[in-house]
Amino acid sequence: MPENKMEWRRIIWHLVLIVFVLVALFPIVFAVSNSFKGLSESYNSILQLIPAHPTIENYKTIFTSLPLYQIIINTFTVATVVTLFKLVTSYLAAYAFSFSHFFGDKLLYFLFIATIFVPFTVTMIPNYLIISRIGLLNNIYGVILPQLCDATGIFLLTQTMRTIPKSLIEVSRLDGVKTVGILRDIVFPLTRPAVISIGIMFFINSWNEYVWPTLILKDRANFTLPLILQMFISSEGGTNFPIAMAISMVTMFIPLVLYLFFQKYILNTFSQSGIK
Amino acid sequence: MSVISKKWISYLFILPSLVIFAVFLIWPGIYTVYLSFLDWNLISPTKRFVGLQNYLSLFQDPTLYKILMNTFVYIVILLVINCFMPYLLAFVLEFVIVRGKKLYKKILFLPSIISLVVGSMLYVWILNPVSGPIAIIFKKIGIDLPTWSSTSGLVLVVLSLITSWKVFGYNFIVLLAGVSNIPSGVIEAAKLDNIPLHRIFFQIVLPMSSATGIYVLIMTIVQGLQYIFTPINVVTQGGPNYASSNMIYHAYQQAFVLYKTGQSAALSTLTLLLFTILLFLEFRFVERKVYYAGK
Repeated sequence: MPENKMEWRRIIWHLVLIVFVLVALFPIVFAVSNSFKGLSESYNSILQLIPAHPTIENYKTIFTSLPLYQIIINTFTVATVVTLFKLVTSYLAAYAFSFSHFFGDKLLYFLFIATIFVPFTVTMIPNYLIISRIGLLNNIYGVILPQLCDATGIFLLTQTMRTIPKSLIEVSRLDGVKTVGILRDIVFPLTRPAVISIGIMFFINSWNEYVWPTLILKDRANFTLPLILQMFISSEGGTNFPIAMAISMVTMFIPLVLYLFFQKYILNTFSQSGIK
Repeated sequence: MSVISKKWISYLFILPSLVIFAVFLIWPGIYTVYLSFLDWNLISPTKRFVGLQNYLSLFQDPTLYKILMNTFVYIVILLVINCFMPYLLAFVLEFVIVRGKKLYKKILFLPSIISLVVGSMLYVWILNPVSGPIAIIFKKIGIDLPTWSSTSGLVLVVLSLITSWKVFGYNFIVLLAGVSNIPSGVIEAAKLDNIPLHRIFFQIVLPMSSATGIYVLIMTIVQGLQYIFTPINVVTQGGPNYASSNMIYHAYQQAFVLYKTGQSAALSTLTLLLFTILLFLEFRFVERKVYYAGK
């Protein structure tokens, strides 16, 4: 094939990919831009991405008119507790599945992975009843409780641990190192990148979680960020648009920062999630 | 050989996950199937056994067929945008463009980490048919945007697009990893033989990365239908007249808006059946690594 034709083909495909890049990024740029505009400016010059009269008034307004500090603390608490528990439970389960054979191990592993295929509508009514029965409705701990373990985490960590040579662990076993020592000094250092990126994804997913919290949380003061944001959506465009953009910014800020710092880990681990 | 010396340690390590799964997933699953045979309203102290009545009334309701049709349309759109398109682009990026791979990966993955409520909100404003930026640009060339949120058919497309904004990048990096496992010599040889790109894609790349491809295909259906809950609830609440509802959203609405617990549970049970079929397909084709070429 002539080199010239190849070059043209590359350019055309680059253009196609750039369209996808624009679609991916435009909403974020749009939110940043309009969150710094006044109400009238945002309506009159919506197409102008750099605000003519930048203002932080929207951010001041949302922090004074909403219990936003409390909502951020709620979101942070849910995400942190969920992440820590999921990491510990997945790590222990993955360790058992990777390094030992016991009665029912294959069946249990299948069962755990199969839970990924259970739609949330199947569990929502009974879980709502459980949380209501133990008095955790309208409480962030009611949001947290059913989510203390994670099948995807078990799967990804098992995949990672299975790449560790068994002989490495057998040698230390012969040297008399106990299970806790092997876990802490051999397996953990080798799986640290996976643990970090899986932990970050747990945190981000929990930070963004919407469906289950909407069933459990009722009062604004107990809300997490996605729930408070939802109050500012109107398909008719009736509410204050720059204010809504400012709350969007607050909601995406932490995930964006985490992604910027840890993107290498995250991309590596999640690229592998479809390869068995 | 077992590396953990004592068996009880293995069970101890499995226990926390097992307890949580049993209490908040397996038992609820069984209880939902049980609820699907009862007449109940989520609040009343008495539940009445009605046999298959909930399933019958579900199937007698014309709304169900509308919702099944919507679910099917959602699946088709999601598969085209989030499975076929990223597959093709992953192939192109790996074997045609080659340069800029890292940067494209980083940027296209970015929306996956942002809340779908944020995505829904941003697109509601961006696609606002009167004052949104797209509407203003189209107005300049004399085209009025339709009010998509109240137009049957179109509303499905837009809600799928909003969901795709989040899902696309994740699928893209997974497929890219799958495609890049294909030995580049095979593709180079095909190129030297002047085999057109579309044939390389359909006849070499698809079969040789089929395990990843089928995994993404199945996950696009299973997670896509659940992800779409968010834009539905945030933007249309299933309207106009159920035109944007799907099986997942309808089950939610039956339970927590209309308090028809039995019918909601019946619909959830059907969804579970559908997903179980997909689970077996996944185990049949992915876990055993379909790999037609060579082996």
